[in-house]
Amino acid sequence: MTAQSGIDVLQPTSPARTGLSLRLPPAGLMLAWLAIAVAVLWATVPGLFTGHDPINGVPAEKLQAPSAAHLFGTDALGRDLLARVVHGSARSLSGGFVAVAVGLVVGTLLGLLAGSVGGLLDELVMRVVDVLLAVPGLLLALTAIILLGAGTTNVAIAVGIGSVAAFARLTRSEVVRVRRTDYVEAAFGSGGRFFTVLRRHVLPNSLGPVVALAAVQFGSAILAISTFSFLGYGAKPPDPEWGLLIAEGRNYLATSWWLTTLPGLVVVLVVVAAGRISRSISREDR
Amino acid sequence: MTRYLALRVGQAVLVLWAAFTAGFVLLQLLPGDSILIKFQNPELGLSPDQIAEIRRLYGSDAPAIVRYVHTLLGFLHGDFGYSIDTGTPVLDRLAEGLPATAKLATLGFLVAVLIAVTIAFVSSYSRFAWIRGALLALPSLFVSVPTFWLGIVLIQVFSFQLKLVPVIGGTGFEQLILPVLTLAVPISAPLAQVLARSLDQVQAQPFVAVVAAKGASQRWILWRHVARNALLPTLTIAGVTFGELIAGSVVTETVFGRNGIGRLTEQAVAVQDTPVMLAIVVLSATVFVLVNLVVDLLYPVLDPRLAAKVGVTA
Amino acid sequence: MPRTRLRSTLRAGVAALATIGLLAACSANAASDAGDAGQPVYGGTLTYLEHQPPSCLYLPAAGFYPNGGVLNQLTDKLTWQDPKTLKIEPWIAKSWEINADATEYTFHLRDGVTFSDGSPLDAETVAANFDVYGLGNKELKLPVAEFVNNYARSEVIDKSTVKFHFNKPSPGFLQGTSVIGAGLVSKKTISLPYEEQCQLKNVVGSGPFTVANQVVDKEIDLVARKDYSWAPPSFAHQGRAYLDKIKIIVTPEDNVRVGALTSGQADYVRYVQAYDEATVKAAGYRIYAEPTRGVNNGLYLRPANSILQDVNVRKALQAGTDAKEVVETLFTDSYPVATSVLSKLAAGYVDLSAQLGYDPAKANSLLDQAGWVRGADGIREKGGRKLQLSVFVSGPQPLSKQTLELVAQQWTKIGVKLDVRQADSGTQAAALKDAEKTPLVHSMVGRADQDVIKSQFHTRNRDVLLSNDAQLDRLLEEQSALVDANARNAKVAEIQRYVVDQGYAIPLFEEPQVYGAAPYVHGVSFEAVARPSFYDVWLSKKDK
Repeated sequence: MTAQSGIDVLQPTSPARTGLSLRLPPAGLMLAWLAIAVAVLWATVPGLFTGHDPINGVPAEKLQAPSAAHLFGTDALGRDLLARVVHGSARSLSGGFVAVAVGLVVGTLLGLLAGSVGGLLDELVMRVVDVLLAVPGLLLALTAIILLGAGTTNVAIAVGIGSVAAFARLTRSEVVRVRRTDYVEAAFGSGGRFFTVLRRHVLPNSLGPVVALAAVQFGSAILAISTFSFLGYGAKPPDPEWGLLIAEGRNYLATSWWLTTLPGLVVVLVVVAAGRISRSISREDR
Repeated sequence: MTRYLALRVGQAVLVLWAAFTAGFVLLQLLPGDSILIKFQNPELGLSPDQIAEIRRLYGSDAPAIVRYVHTLLGFLHGDFGYSIDTGTPVLDRLAEGLPATAKLATLGFLVAVLIAVTIAFVSSYSRFAWIRGALLALPSLFVSVPTFWLGIVLIQVFSFQLKLVPVIGGTGFEQLILPVLTLAVPISAPLAQVLARSLDQVQAQPFVAVVAAKGASQRWILWRHVARNALLPTLTIAGVTFGELIAGSVVTETVFGRNGIGRLTEQAVAVQDTPVMLAIVVLSATVFVLVNLVVDLLYPVLDPRLAAKVGVTA
Repeated sequence: MPRTRLRSTLRAGVAALATIGLLAACSANAASDAGDAGQPVYGGTLTYLEHQPPSCLYLPAAGFYPNGGVLNQLTDKLTWQDPKTLKIEPWIAKSWEINADATEYTFHLRDGVTFSDGSPLDAETVAANFDVYGLGNKELKLPVAEFVNNYARSEVIDKSTVKFHFNKPSPGFLQGTSVIGAGLVSKKTISLPYEEQCQLKNVVGSGPFTVANQVVDKEIDLVARKDYSWAPPSFAHQGRAYLDKIKIIVTPEDNVRVGALTSGQADYVRYVQAYDEATVKAAGYRIYAEPTRGVNNGLYLRPANSILQDVNVRKALQAGTDAKEVVETLFTDSYPVATSVLSKLAAGYVDLSAQLGYDPAKANSLLDQAGWVRGADGIREKGGRKLQLSVFVSGPQPLSKQTLELVAQQWTKIGVKLDVRQADSGTQAAALKDAEKTPLVHSMVGRADQDVIKSQFHTRNRDVLLSNDAQLDRLLEEQSALVDANARNAKVAEIQRYVVDQGYAIPLFEEPQVYGAAPYVHGVSFEAVARPSFYDVWLSKKDK
């Protein structure tokens, strides 16, 4: 589920070369950065974007359609939906970041270790990664959530664990590729110490595709978190979170369309933007 | 080759054992347990002593290591134990759910391939940049929509509003249309991206210019090369999207009220039915290992270039 | 080679797509028109959508609504409780005698009743059933049933007469024989171990329907028993059920159930959410909001908790909760605001609405008195400890999460922080018996007898309060031993007052079971606690 777009990893030959060859004008990329910037601003200074209370609503104003007073309408408890989306961005974005950080740090370390040391250790690490891939990610994540307790951060960690395998495989294959290049051979040949070469040459040159994967994972992590909200393991009530808003709003799809559609659009925009940025990163890398 | 095969099978067995062990250890750590959840149900009105008694009867008060060995031996003999939730043999529950999920997942994957090939091919072939752009933007959109949301919207639109396909009743085939689509769309996205890129690479290769110069139509070139370029990534993705298919089937089966391994997984987790959870771990690990084994063994057959560096599986 | 393979794949794919489109276009069906009521007709298949899959089908566990929906059709009971008058009427027992102190019950059984496997429903079988329900069976891992109190033993007088003996007076037993959990099963079924009795295929009853087919977790098909001829004598309808077949299909998504109903794909659905009632009605369908006649949906505060041990704090929370706002915001007329611990329709109900009004000023002053002072963030503190409580979202209660969120919002106005926690059932089960981890619970219980209040509060029953209050236990025991109905009702009233005065309960609303049905579905009926009975149901639609 989490490795949804981790296709880069799957290519047996040259995993680094993905990137959708979508020739959007640079304006597309600008818009993508703009969308992310707005989301980050929502998370950091929500007060600038909404004056409504995201937690305590006015029950008498429940389920109002979008209007000038409530741009996104209100929910079943009379809470302003825009306020909940804006205030929820901090939790959703940090959820995405945590998920990516867990996958990135653990996965990259494993991959780096396996790819650079090689031999038995490589074999061992890759079997661990196989096990991670073999156990259904959802079952793994659900178990992790039960162990850690519900809540966005814990869900994000669980989602991150699910993407460790993807990062590890990608990093390892990148490291293997970079190690075979002439300049690394030369660095070793000229007496460079193992870790120095690793840090100076191997790591920086392997990271491009990994960073691209991270950007894609960021988007799919937000979606994965919303799936867990759907299954009833979401953010702690009454805190807003995008996935939770979509998941809970779905019940009102037939009667109050805005409750699931508008937060859904926000997520689509952010995920598409993250994907776009990811592609631009992998293209620069090329 | 024989040595390679033996090595791969050995690895597969190792991964299976490790998955079983990891699953067992993880499930030991869960708070509460299925016996508590089930029998503390106030409607049954059992005292803590009675619950302890039941636990003893289920043998769940033995030391963990004893239970581990016991369970492992059971699995080796094909005995997966009993579901604590329903009291039925775990094997029966898996057997009830597996055909439905296998059908859903297989069709879902095939339709995903179909969607991906269509997108990649039409976009590469199209002479209009805007069609190309629009088609290539689809995968990003496909992965931006939560599966459960897609399922619900498909039901609302096609079943309830347009009344084209029933979700309740109807033939088995009718009941599969929307769930298969729901499952296929997100999986088709990465596949479409890979295929589109492969086609671009083919077009950029010098021999294409040569063949074109010789008078071959561009369509012919694409037809000629799409197959080889589609097959390998499709195979690779088949090996890895397995987990996604399971995750997707959990959501799809819940939304569409279908039975299957996905629903079983979710319910087993909800009531911490550990024997069922462990069996699901082993089952999916087995399928994963088998699929990847087959994929690895097929690579050299399909692409002679890989035959030389067999064993380097990323 | 790859080229041909690809081409055929593509061609097959295109063909498949075209087929999908065609089939989809063909299967569009016309919406049904509402038929007129009139003479019941035999035949037809009812499609009934259930919210959750049934769990263990051991009869005493049948209280779970998905189980009840199935078992109510498969089994008969000794007696029938009229859901309107709540009077106990004959069914499998054609008559009975009870001794003066309610320690001996003698039932005279109807002749000629058989189980669906052909075995007779006789005194011996009834005795075997109640021996298990009253005493449990350790060897077979069968737990005691909650509706039987003080059971001692059974005595088979003759083939159609059975007598039950009790250690102490058990006035609730007669009603207990009518509840869903007291369904009678064959001797073979009742002597199976727990795991076996849990499975639908092993449940052999004498009811109007039998199981034809089951797809676990998805669908149960019931068919009418043609030779059924032992409906309660008070029924106008005798003989076999009208329907030929019932398809019970598990459909967890709320909006899918409702959409399937209003788009004509299903005939009858359980658990219509409050916000969907208007949609169902607007489409010309019927809503049945059936009362559950028991302990109201509410918050139950545990006196063993270190914050809630102070009765003033409990009373303050009671006064600071606006049940009316909860109902008006989240629910509909189907959910009457609670006026006591018990539902208005429960036996022994007493109106306590005067004590239960929303009064934040009183709440604030009670908390001031109790020494809880508002901190900088508006949350009260005492001795460095915040007035902060947590509650688990309760899966079975409708809109539990939203309800708790709204209550939390109301409590912030009196300086109390309520953490609404969502957790898996394992975590909840582990925390349930600890008043510090679970200071209050959101729950209800339905049963149409005075004993329902004992079920909820007694330390040896559900013990929702984790009560450390010996007086409450004593009152509940006195109630369940009173033989005279008026005296019993008076005691139940006393208990309600006591529970409210002690601030143990914050009743919110009288929880109904809400069903939706198509206009062509007639004869919809329910047992006393709102589980559907399909015996009387008939369809006026021709093609069904």
